[in-house]
Amino acid sequence: MSSEPLLRVENLKTQFFTDTGTVRAVDGISFEVYEGEIVGLVGESGAGKSVASMSLLRLVENPGEIVGGEVTYKGETIFGLEEGPDGELRKRDDMLSNEEMRDRIRGNEIAVIFQDPMESLNPVFTVGGQLREFIELNRDLSREKAREEAVDMLREVGIPDPEERYEEYPHQFSGGMRQRVLIAMALACEPNLIIADEPTTALDVTVEGQIIDLVDDLQEKYGTSFIWVTHDLGVVAEICDRVNVMYLGEIVEQAPIDELFYDTKHPYTDALLDSIPRPDRTVGELDPIEGVMPEAISPPSGCRFHPRCPDAREVCRRVHPENRVVDTTESAEPHRAACVKHDAFDVGYDESPPLEKEPQVTSEPDADTEAGVTGPGPGPGPGTGTGTGTGPGSSGGGGEGSE
Amino acid sequence: MSDTVQDPGSDRDPDGDRSVIGSEMSGEDVAHGETLLEVDGLKKYFSQESGLLSGVSLDPSQFPPIEIGRNRVKAVDDVNFEIRRGETLGLVGESGCGKSTLGRTILRLLKPTDGNIYFKGQDLADLSGEALRQKRAEIQMIFQDPQSSLDPRMKVGRIIEEPMRAHGMLDDEGREARAKDLLEKVGLDSRHYNRHPHAFSGGQRQRVNLARALSVNPDFIVCDEPVSALDVSIQAQVLNTMEELQEEFGLTYLFIAHDLSVIRHISDRVAVMYLGNVVELAEKEELFENPQHPYTEALLESIPVPDPRQRDARGVLEGEVPSPVNPPSGCRFRTRCPRLIAPDEYAWTDEEWAHTRAFLRAVKRRTFEPMTAAEIEAEFFGGELPTGDAGEIVRRAIDHVATDRGDAGAGVGAETGSGTETESGSDTAGGPEGVGHPNVDWADATELLLESFARQSICARERPAYEVEPEYGTEPHFAACHLHR
Repeated sequence: MSSEPLLRVENLKTQFFTDTGTVRAVDGISFEVYEGEIVGLVGESGAGKSVASMSLLRLVENPGEIVGGEVTYKGETIFGLEEGPDGELRKRDDMLSNEEMRDRIRGNEIAVIFQDPMESLNPVFTVGGQLREFIELNRDLSREKAREEAVDMLREVGIPDPEERYEEYPHQFSGGMRQRVLIAMALACEPNLIIADEPTTALDVTVEGQIIDLVDDLQEKYGTSFIWVTHDLGVVAEICDRVNVMYLGEIVEQAPIDELFYDTKHPYTDALLDSIPRPDRTVGELDPIEGVMPEAISPPSGCRFHPRCPDAREVCRRVHPENRVVDTTESAEPHRAACVKHDAFDVGYDESPPLEKEPQVTSEPDADTEAGVTGPGPGPGPGTGTGTGTGPGSSGGGGEGSE
Repeated sequence: MSDTVQDPGSDRDPDGDRSVIGSEMSGEDVAHGETLLEVDGLKKYFSQESGLLSGVSLDPSQFPPIEIGRNRVKAVDDVNFEIRRGETLGLVGESGCGKSTLGRTILRLLKPTDGNIYFKGQDLADLSGEALRQKRAEIQMIFQDPQSSLDPRMKVGRIIEEPMRAHGMLDDEGREARAKDLLEKVGLDSRHYNRHPHAFSGGQRQRVNLARALSVNPDFIVCDEPVSALDVSIQAQVLNTMEELQEEFGLTYLFIAHDLSVIRHISDRVAVMYLGNVVELAEKEELFENPQHPYTEALLESIPVPDPRQRDARGVLEGEVPSPVNPPSGCRFRTRCPRLIAPDEYAWTDEEWAHTRAFLRAVKRRTFEPMTAAEIEAEFFGGELPTGDAGEIVRRAIDHVATDRGDAGAGVGAETGSGTETESGSDTAGGPEGVGHPNVDWADATELLLESFARQSICARERPAYEVEPEYGTEPHFAACHLHR
């Protein structure tokens, strides 16, 4: 973990300009990926994980746009802005051109594995043909050489009888086998970094296990770094070296894997860990996070998690915490968390009165959620059974919820 | 088993006088803890038109099948269990193992090929037409995808009232009152009555589904992956609500899921399905802490545990579920089973059998590069072949796949180019050299090994069914594995 990071992301912001307003899908996230490590990007759906990972490759589609921050890969600028003479922000000169991104970075340096292997493979071409074409184009090999390489890659990722299956079509492959093909495709150009976007979510547990093992082996062999995007904390615990927890477009906690699980610093991570049923022991009552994640179009003031946070105090409504180092691990790695309850912030959390909480919503359409915090209500405290929480205080928030 | 046989004539009438919402059960007929539903020898086969399974899987109009026999997909094959009033039976298995088909067949959304489904003593498999429709007030279903199971053009209130209308329950006002009541019961707000489904998040839509299922006051609900599409934090909320409702209304759930953590949380007893069969059924604690079927063990071991300090505990199950068109004989799991029982014909040591099994699997899946006989012996057998007849067979198998032996006596790289399955292999790690080994005959080796060993095992010859002494609790523990013979 010394030296220069392979990939450095600083204050990255990606926004979507929609008719109803600006969606701040990724709102100032910073993290690094070092050589040979697997970095997790964890969060619920809508947290901005996928947008963040696609922004790294500048693959954000209209109406989305990267509006700020800097992405540096091996010293080259994938994205960067500077202030022009007229005071307007403009793209920096040293930023890689679209051609360079296409020819040199995507596939060759940074590859992607998507969640749905069926949608990533063309159903009318053979699996082998697609893999061969990819290798042919990206590595400048002859057709025959590329074919050999493709068969080798298929064998490498554990597809039985690769010569035969080379000629088959995607529908003849099972989900797990398709995902193996995509891994083969990602690895084919020996990239230094692979972005895996929920690669095992659509798979059965046994197949998921196989894929995780495969990735572990291949990572050891090739030394590839991974950004592993997932919502599954089990997978994270299994495979990641360091983890970034995202909530509503921000990274709220950043820590090595062991510290994240055993010395959790952010209440959201805590709540997330408490809400999952465990395979290894019987949990009597699940302790779900109250409410739902608000929409990124109008995030709550202050700390974005405060309307759902069991530890929320008055100050949390006012102060927006950045992701700050709150502790250092034994191996001198920083443990960052965006929560003002830590001493590193010193904004008067201890003196601040606890928030009277509205009964949080299981019931309101998501856009409304943040409306519940504007006035203290007669609601029950945290930990109330949410099944009966009917959320009377949270109506009339966004226009979207009402008919 | 069903000791509370009910007069088939006393079908629950579409009563209009049931009070608005009631924790009172419609069935005074089956007491809490007694058998509510019994499935006996249930089979559901689908006829297969073309090669593609997915095209036919859920089309009851395919029946009756004209052709009897080999080309039918045995989605559910001879399943027996019972569900007691007030309990949750978890049904878990990998995709394609038949759990959804089983759920739908129990509900009689699909017509069973064979077997009986006794609900309160009455055989649902015999019912049809109006009698069946009436019965559906007592058994309801919640589907996986909360989006597609709600009509986007109907308001939520109407959606919840629909089943009551279909069963002639209450009048307009009564239905509206009950719908609003139910909305609150499932953790929504009665003011949502006039909203459309699109205004709700996934978790909330699933709550609407719950309310709709509850509207006709059912006794039994089949929940088909009800929380799989939801985020973890929302999942916990919906699971908690489902448990509360179960307690309040005395509901009985058949809870289908692939997620063992969810199953462990919500179930009282758990049935594990593999390729159309129930392979293990036991009380939750017993099943998770003392699994007796290798498949269950493998499933449990393969779940990633959310604990970084338990990293290396995970095991991996190799291979994939075979086709249900032509499932393996005997125990269906035997083709992937890490504990396949050695055939009695040969005198094995445990180690010899383990080596042979690993070799058999590798040959079948062609997972290794062609190499010389000596290399194969070193790689799979630690240099020592099994003794006796078994060793002789292994030697012959090695002859088929070794690069330096070969049946035709051809040397390495000789281009005979014949044989049905002459498989080429190339060196992965090093040079991209695609030279085949024409004398390597995977198919013959596979066939020889399978025929001599795998198919001689008791696992291939008899279908297992054993009762095991439980370690936790007192419930009977069913395990379909010959290890318990």
